[in-house]
Order: sequence, then structure tokens, then C-alpha cells
Amino acid sequence: MLDVSDVEVYYGDAQALWEVSVRVEAAEVVSIVGSNGAGKSTLVAAIMGILPIRRGRIVFDGDDITEMAGHRVCRCGVAIVPEGRRLFPGLTVGDNLDLGAFNVAARPHQAESLQRVFALFPRLAQRATQLAGSLSGGEQQMLAIGRALMARPRLLLMDEPSLGLAPVIVDEVFEVIEAVRDAGVSVLLVEQNVARALEISSRAYLLSEGRIVMEGNASELAANPEIRRAVLGV
Amino acid sequence: MSDRGWIGLLLVAVGLAAVPALAAVFDFNSFYLVFLSGILFWTAQSTSWNILSGYSGYFSFGQGAFYGVGVYSMAVFFGRHGVDWLAATVIGGLLSMLLALAIGTIAFRLRSLRGEIFALLTLAVPFILAAVVRLSDTIDGGQGIIVPVPEYPDFLGSFQTFFFVASAVVGVLSLAVAFVMERTRYGWALFAIRDDEAVAEGLGVPTFKHKMISIAANGLIGGVSGAVLALNLGFVSVEGTFNLRVPLFVIVMSVLGGRNHWAGPMIGAIYIHTLQNRLADSGFDGWSLIVLGVILVLLVLLAPEGLMARFGRRPWAVGGVFASTLIGLGSWGGWGQPVDWLAVALGAAALVGFLPGRRGREMAGGRRAHHALEIFEGVPAPVEVGRPLVLADEAAKDFGGVHALRGVSVTISQGELVGLVGPNGSGKTTLVNLISGALPPTSGTLTLDGKDLVGMPQHRIAHLGIARTYQIPRPFHSLTVRDNVAIAIMFGRVPHGLEVAREAADEFLSLVGLHHLSDQLPGQVNLHERQLLEMARAMATRPVVLLLDEALAGLNPVEVDNAVAVVRRIHDSGVAIVFVEHVLRVVNQLATRIVVLDQGEVLAEGEPDIVMSDPAVIRAYLGKEGHARRQ
Amino acid sequence: MSQLQATIFGALSGSLFAVMALGLSLVWGFLKIINLAHFGMILLGAYLTFELATTTGIDPIITVMIGAMAMFLFGAIVQAGFERWRVSEFNSLLISYGLLIITVQVVSNVWTADFQRMDSSVNPYAAQSLALGPLRFPLPTLIAAGFAVILVVAAKLILERTYSGRALQAFGQDRDIAGAFGIDHTKLGILLAGAAGATAAIGGMLHSLGESLHPDAPFEWVGRVFAIVILGGIGNVTGTLYAGLLVGGISGLTAAVWSPSASPFVVFSLVVLALVFRPTGLFPSKAGH
Repeated sequence: MLDVSDVEVYYGDAQALWEVSVRVEAAEVVSIVGSNGAGKSTLVAAIMGILPIRRGRIVFDGDDITEMAGHRVCRCGVAIVPEGRRLFPGLTVGDNLDLGAFNVAARPHQAESLQRVFALFPRLAQRATQLAGSLSGGEQQMLAIGRALMARPRLLLMDEPSLGLAPVIVDEVFEVIEAVRDAGVSVLLVEQNVARALEISSRAYLLSEGRIVMEGNASELAANPEIRRAVLGV
Repeated sequence: MSDRGWIGLLLVAVGLAAVPALAAVFDFNSFYLVFLSGILFWTAQSTSWNILSGYSGYFSFGQGAFYGVGVYSMAVFFGRHGVDWLAATVIGGLLSMLLALAIGTIAFRLRSLRGEIFALLTLAVPFILAAVVRLSDTIDGGQGIIVPVPEYPDFLGSFQTFFFVASAVVGVLSLAVAFVMERTRYGWALFAIRDDEAVAEGLGVPTFKHKMISIAANGLIGGVSGAVLALNLGFVSVEGTFNLRVPLFVIVMSVLGGRNHWAGPMIGAIYIHTLQNRLADSGFDGWSLIVLGVILVLLVLLAPEGLMARFGRRPWAVGGVFASTLIGLGSWGGWGQPVDWLAVALGAAALVGFLPGRRGREMAGGRRAHHALEIFEGVPAPVEVGRPLVLADEAAKDFGGVHALRGVSVTISQGELVGLVGPNGSGKTTLVNLISGALPPTSGTLTLDGKDLVGMPQHRIAHLGIARTYQIPRPFHSLTVRDNVAIAIMFGRVPHGLEVAREAADEFLSLVGLHHLSDQLPGQVNLHERQLLEMARAMATRPVVLLLDEALAGLNPVEVDNAVAVVRRIHDSGVAIVFVEHVLRVVNQLATRIVVLDQGEVLAEGEPDIVMSDPAVIRAYLGKEGHARRQ
Repeated sequence: MSQLQATIFGALSGSLFAVMALGLSLVWGFLKIINLAHFGMILLGAYLTFELATTTGIDPIITVMIGAMAMFLFGAIVQAGFERWRVSEFNSLLISYGLLIITVQVVSNVWTADFQRMDSSVNPYAAQSLALGPLRFPLPTLIAAGFAVILVVAAKLILERTYSGRALQAFGQDRDIAGAFGIDHTKLGILLAGAAGATAAIGGMLHSLGESLHPDAPFEWVGRVFAIVILGGIGNVTGTLYAGLLVGGISGLTAAVWSPSASPFVVFSLVVLALVFRPTGLFPSKAGH
């Protein structure tokens, strides 16, 4: 479904990704793990069209989205849950969700999508008229996921959803990720919390200093001591 | 900025001095003296504006305030009370300078006053001034003031000659001030402030002092120039003085001519004044603003850096075309007046400046060459760990509810190479910001050698011996690699002049292996080289503690090894280093001690092998597993 | 004139400047462009009203529909130009100043530099006044106040209730992420700039109802309009209206109690204080930017 082939991305004139290739199939959770500065968020930004790709290709469901302008990628069925949530702080919960469906493909189904999101996140329905900036961390993460789901994506890019959240809340978030997958949406999960990420993924990639250094079955990787060596350097 | 500038300034001065003599000999129409006086007035106003706004980047809409103070000082003291006109000029300049210092004290003290707000502040000042002038009967009272013709020395002949001489003196003075500033530490401080004020302050440049100097110069010259002009106005009124013409025209002239060069505003003044004059005279009066507007729009789109930058690339061609066009039309004599010939010659010169061709030194994306790296060899000599230098005691930092740091206590001692690590959001960069003085702690103490750092201005912390680099390099883009380092030396603990600083810069460039790129601009070297420049520049402040913030981000393995070798060399020279890093294999190789931060607190510290095997540290990096679930 | 009358009249007059300031403030706040040509559009709106009403005899208020459409196009085209050539914030200031002086010159060429005023047969409003209780106010001023309230309420409703309006707010709060959800800033920006132009035309029309026109008028408006934008908060719709009333009211009161020349002194001292202590404006807004 998503095919990232030999992609090279520069941040300004610093090369951030070297020949990165990643694959995501339908209805699966794939994780990208690695320490900070490894390039995980850069990869997400490149897929969404926020950062330009200098070499390589990204194909999504048959469409080449390598060169596509940022605001058109969403139309094709890829939505983002950004690192740090990045909700629209001055707008209400309801507004944030409504705007998630802004792209032309999702807009006709806005009402139906909203019902589904509220069913998944009843707390958001209760807080529909509250300002997004006034929610707790966990609620904000739920809202960010809900906003992305409003875009009716076939692939969800999630960037560090556990960041800054208490362990109990992280549990809830990861349950939601599984529910999303069960509903038929693929998830490309970028996470610092390696253990959790591998728990719910079918496959995973380890990104280090801008390169894929390990990949394979999530359960195999979890049992592999090499992971610790790669991340901690000892 | 070559030293041919001296010649240029001298030519201008000599040429102007010759004009009255020529006028007497050739019996010029006084029109030309008036015309040149106008150019000189605008030169002084624009140049003084540029000293503040062009050099330092603090954009001012308030030139009208300084001009107005000058005009009214002359009107009130000389016009109304009969004070000697020269004394009135001096008073006007001083009052205007006082106003400038007052504005600066308010605007520059407040950290929150970003460039945009400073501009709005300066927009408001002339309105306040105009109201005060109109209200107060001792000043204007709404009636306007008559300025009689002053007494001038007989040998000058006519009033116009006298006025021309006075204008010329002020004009040349303004050019001289700009010229001198550009070539001394004052100007260099302003360029650094313009390129990146926070970095400049961190390198030891006293930014407040230099901004005050530049606004004071702006005020002084603007006031003196306004006072002299008042002698030619005959009658001053609030509406005529405090309108938008002066503030806007000085901006247009400086932008047109170029804000980076002492002669830029003068060039702009020559062009605009000539153009306006010709349009008004030719009966195309209904077109003057249209032409001016179109030219402004085109120039901003096509040559935002100004004419001087273009002329500077092929000065002989431009000068030659200008001179030959002028002389050609003059000798032919079949059309127009001298000012017409001037206008055409100026136009021709401008066209030459716009011809495609050699693009000169400021290249945008382009040539990012891959230069050979000087790889350092050798075994690092073990360095003794000595006395404690930096002490952070329960340092905490809140950002409106977010606890970035919760009570961190850390000691950095002489000779150490401390690796500061931790997951995303653990507070590493915040700690670096606290130690370097970029941010004040919410609570806790920070000391260097026992001296309390909290509340100390950043440039003094730099002089005490703490330097830092930035993860994304922040060089001064308009200065060469060598000059980037030279700034740090010029404004170091012991101040140095430009030439001395440039020579000393070579030592630090060699330390990091950048010597062969000294004359390049930062935009022309690659990322790794810019990171090395960061280190060289920080080292040039002769620190005792160097804070490196993710100096390896974005490097390929060869560059990483080179950077590591450079860091070792720096360490060998006796500097204690704290480096924030994510590439843990490097940290393990390099560090004498590791401090692990997590969620704003110190999680562990000690020798690399031991710390990185600590279960708590492993959990922080790899994450705790969730409750067991079926696959 | 009693002090109360002066203050209220001042406030109502200030609402006209609020209308002028509204478009400028919105474009500055959302698109980060300081468009001095906005003043040119106000001027053109005023002269177009004068011309259309005088030649066709149609009520001047009705003619604003044509003026608004024309200035909508003007504003949209200028914004499209800024987008196309990726003009920076600073350069937009210079370029729009160039456009302003071109506009002023064109107006001066077409309608001469003399003062122009709509004949009372064409403009019945200028001579009339309306009593509100014991106080009496000129009709043009009241009409301006009415339009100000309508425009501000409409703008607020559009921004908060319509989909595109909220999309614009989102764009103002987080440009990149808004883009990631399909919010195309180019189209929205051009629409907003066009709308700002239309409000400028309305401001010009309102001005022409009560005052004589001359080409240099924009330079007299700049100070007060910027004061209102600053005090109201850049991009803050209701703040602009409140600031207009405040600036106008203070000006009127100061003129009555002290002297008309003192009004700018008080207003701009207030602006300086606001910039130092409350740079985001005196009237808080929910928007995150």
C-alpha cells in the first residue's frame, strides 16, 4: 500500500535520510523506532509532503506522491497525527475535528466520520465545545488521532504518540491504535518507546543516524539483543 | 568592502568642495546649487537612517521625529529667539540625539520588543511629537514659525552658496560617520546584531550598548540635517514637517541604493531626487509618483539588495558608462539641461548594473563544494580533571506549566568531557540554555568559579568564559568565515581591533581545519564546515567551558569521525566540554563522564559503560513494556 | 458640544476608521503582509462612490456594491502577485507603498487634486442628522457606525461559523499542519485579500458620505488606522471595532476637554504604552497566534 523506496531527504542542506525504504501493507501496524535525531520525524514529514524529497520515490496505492504538494497528499488517503499533537489551539474540539475532513475526498462524509470518531472517543463528544488548548495531554492526543481519522485515511502516520503522556494514558492510546488497525486503517507508527511499539506492530524498522539498520518481524526484533546495542551504543 | 572606499569618500568631499568654486567661475545658475543641496539633505537623512536600520536591522519608521526636532530647534531658537544659527544647529542635533536615546532605552531594554514592534513604536513617535509641537505655544502653537535668512560670511557670495556649503558639510559628515562605523568594531557589532542578535550577545558583543550608539548617531545626524534645512524653508509648520514624506523617502532611498554600504543611501538619494526633479520639471508632473512607484516595485522584486550591490560587481563598467554618457550628452549639447544628462547617465548606469553576468560573492543555493577535510591524527593525551567550574544547584525551569527542568544539580570540572544525554524532551537543551545565560532559571543557582550567573547579561557570561554552539549552526551570513571568528575576538574579554582580530582568527580556523575556507561566506560551505565554524567561533572567545549542542546532527560517518577528532583537539587545549548528543556510540567513545536526563531530572551519572548498562537508563530509552497481551 | 456628546461622537467617528482598519488587520494577522495599498483601495472606493453617484444619480450607499467588487479584484490580484513572487513581509511593505503612491497619483490625475464633494442632491445624507435621546449626531457618522458593527459581526461569524473561516483560523494558528489537512493557503489568502479590498471600498464610501475627498487623504488616515490595528490586536476582528471606538472616543473627549491638537498625543502615547506592555493588543482574543 505504501512504498517508500530509497528516499533521501535533506533538512536545509543537512542530509537527514539515506536510502530509506519502508513498506506498509493494508490493515497492519508498522513501527519505525530509533533514538532521537535518527530521522523518524523527518521521514513522516517527507511522506506528508511537508519536506521535499531529493531522491527516491514514494508510492501510495499506485499513486506516486513523491512530488505532491503538501496540501494534496491528504486527499489521497494519508493523514498525520503530528509529534506534539499540534492541534489548532484557538479552535474548539469540534472545530478541530471538522477541519480534519477539509480535504475534498473526506468532506462529503464529514457527518458520518464525526459520529464514528465520537463513538471511538466519547470523552471528545463531551468536550466538543471546549477549546483544544484546554484539554489534558491524553485528551489532546485522542483529539489529534480523531482529527486525522476525520480525513478518512487508509494510512495513518503517527509521530511519537506516547510523548509526554503518563503510562496509563499511553495504554489507552495504544488500544486506540489497535482499534484503528482493526477497522482497516494501516498505521505507520514512529515511536521512541521501542518496547510498546513492537508489542502492537506486525513489522518494524530500526532507524539510526538516517539509515535503516534493522528490519523484520516485530516479535523477532523484540527478542533481539542487537536492538539494545543499536539504540544505546553499548 | 575594500579599501578603495577611502578614495570614494575623498572624491565626494573634494568634488563637493569644488562646486562652489566652479559655480563662481562658470557662473552656474543657482538652480544647480539648490539641486545638489537637495541631494545632500536626502543623503544625510537616508545615511543616518541606514546607520540604525540598515546596519542593525532594527527597522525605523520614525525618521520624521529626528528631522522634525532639528527643524523646530532651528525655527524656535534661531527663528523666534535669535540664537546664533550654528548654536541652534548643535542644539537641534543634541535634542534629537536625546530623543533617540530615550526611544532606545525603552525599546532596546525590553526583550519582547521584536523588530516589528520596534518599527511600530517608531511610527508612533512622530505623531506624539507633532501633537506636542502643535499644542505648545512656546514651540509652535499651530501658527507655524518664520525662519529668517541667517547671516553668512561674505566671501560665500549668495545664500544658496552658503546653504550648499552647510548642506555639504552635513552630508559629508554623515557619510564619514557611516564609513567609519562600517570599518570599525561599531559597524561590525551592528552587522552581527542584524544577522543574529542572540548569537552575537552570546559571543560577547554588548548588543544594548551598540544599538544605543547607532540610534544616537541616527538621531544626531537627522537632527543636524533637519536644522540646516530649516534655514532654507523660510517657514515651518507642523503639517509640513511631520508628514510621512521624510520617513518613507529615506526608506525608499536606502533600499534602492543598498543598505549594506555607506554609499548606498547616497546613491539612492541621487537617483530619487534626480528623477523627481526631472519629472516635476518636464511637465510630466502627473506621472512623477507613478514612475516612482513603478520603479520601487520593480526594484524590490528584481534587486532587493539595492543598486550598490549591483554596481559593486562591475564598478569600472558602471562608472565608465555613467561618465561617458554624461560627457557625451554634455559635449553634444543638442538636448536638455545638465540635470537631464545626469538623469540619463544614471539610468544607463543602472541598466549596466542589471546586465546578466558575473554574480559575485553572494550566491544563494549554488556551489556547495565538497572540500577536502583535514583529518586529525594522533592519540588523545589524558587530561587531568581539576577544580569545579560550573555548578548548577537545583536549577529548575518552567515554561508556563511545563516543567522542562525540575531541580537539576550538576558540576562541570576542569578537564572534563561531559556527555549530556537523554530521551526527547528530557531537558538537555534547556540546561544548556540556562548555563549559557540564554534563559534565566525559574529557581536554583548557577555559578561559574563561584560567581553567580543568574541575571548577568549574556555577553558578560561569555567574557567570564562560557561559550556555546547551536545544533543548527547560526553563522553570521553576511560575514566571511574568517570574519565570523574575528567578531568573537573583537568583542572578547579583551577587546581587539579588526585587523588584529582577523589575524588571530586564523589560529582558531586552523584548530578546526577551516583555514582554507576563510574567505568563503557561510552559505557557500557545507553543513559540517558550518558546524566546525560554530566551534571555531565559540573557541575564539577563549572559554573555560564549551557547550556543544548536538554538533553531529546530519553528518555522514566520515564527518562524524572528523568532528570527534576536532572536539578532542579542543579538549586537549584545556577547555572543559559539555556536549549534548544523540549518537550514543560517539558519546561512549568521547565522554569522561555521562549525565543522563529524563523528564527534567538527572536519572544517572558516571562512567559511560556503567551508566548505559543501568536498568533505569535502558528503560528510559527503550521504554517500559505495557501489560502483557496476546499477539 | 458637551463632553459626553464629544466623546460619543468621537467614538462613532472612530468606527469609520475601524472599518478602514479591519481589512488591513486581517491580512496582516493571517497572511503576514502589511499592505499599504489598502489605503489606496479605500481612496479608490471613495472616489468611485463619488463618481458613480454623481454621474448616475444612484444612491451612494448602493454604488458601493460596484466599488466593493472592483476592490475585491484589486486586493485579490495584489495578493496573487505577492504569492507568485514569494514576497517577504518586509518587501511587501515596500511594494505596497509603491502601489499606494501610484494609486494616489492616478486618482489625482483623473479627478484633479482639488477637493471633491458629492452634491447634496446626490448625497442626501451629509446634511442630515439624527437625535439619539438628548444628543444629535450627523447621519453619515451613524451610518458608518452601523456598517462597522455589521461588518465586524459578519467577519466574526464568517471566521467562526463557516468552514472556510475556521480553516483560515487554523491556517493562522499552524500553517504546516493546516496544509497537511488540505487547507490551501494560496486560495484562502487570495480570498481574504479580496474581502479586505471590499471592506476598504466600503470604508471609502462611508468616508465620502461625510467628507470632501482629496487624493492625499490616505496619508492622513495612516496614523489613526495603525493605532487602531495595534491597540485592537493584529488580526483580532472584534478588537478592531473596540479599538476604533476607544481611539475615537478618547480623541473626542481629549479635544473637548483639552484641545483638538492634543488628541494625537493621547492616542499615540496610549499606543506606545500598549506596545511596551501589551504588544498583542488591549483586547484579548482566543486565537492562538
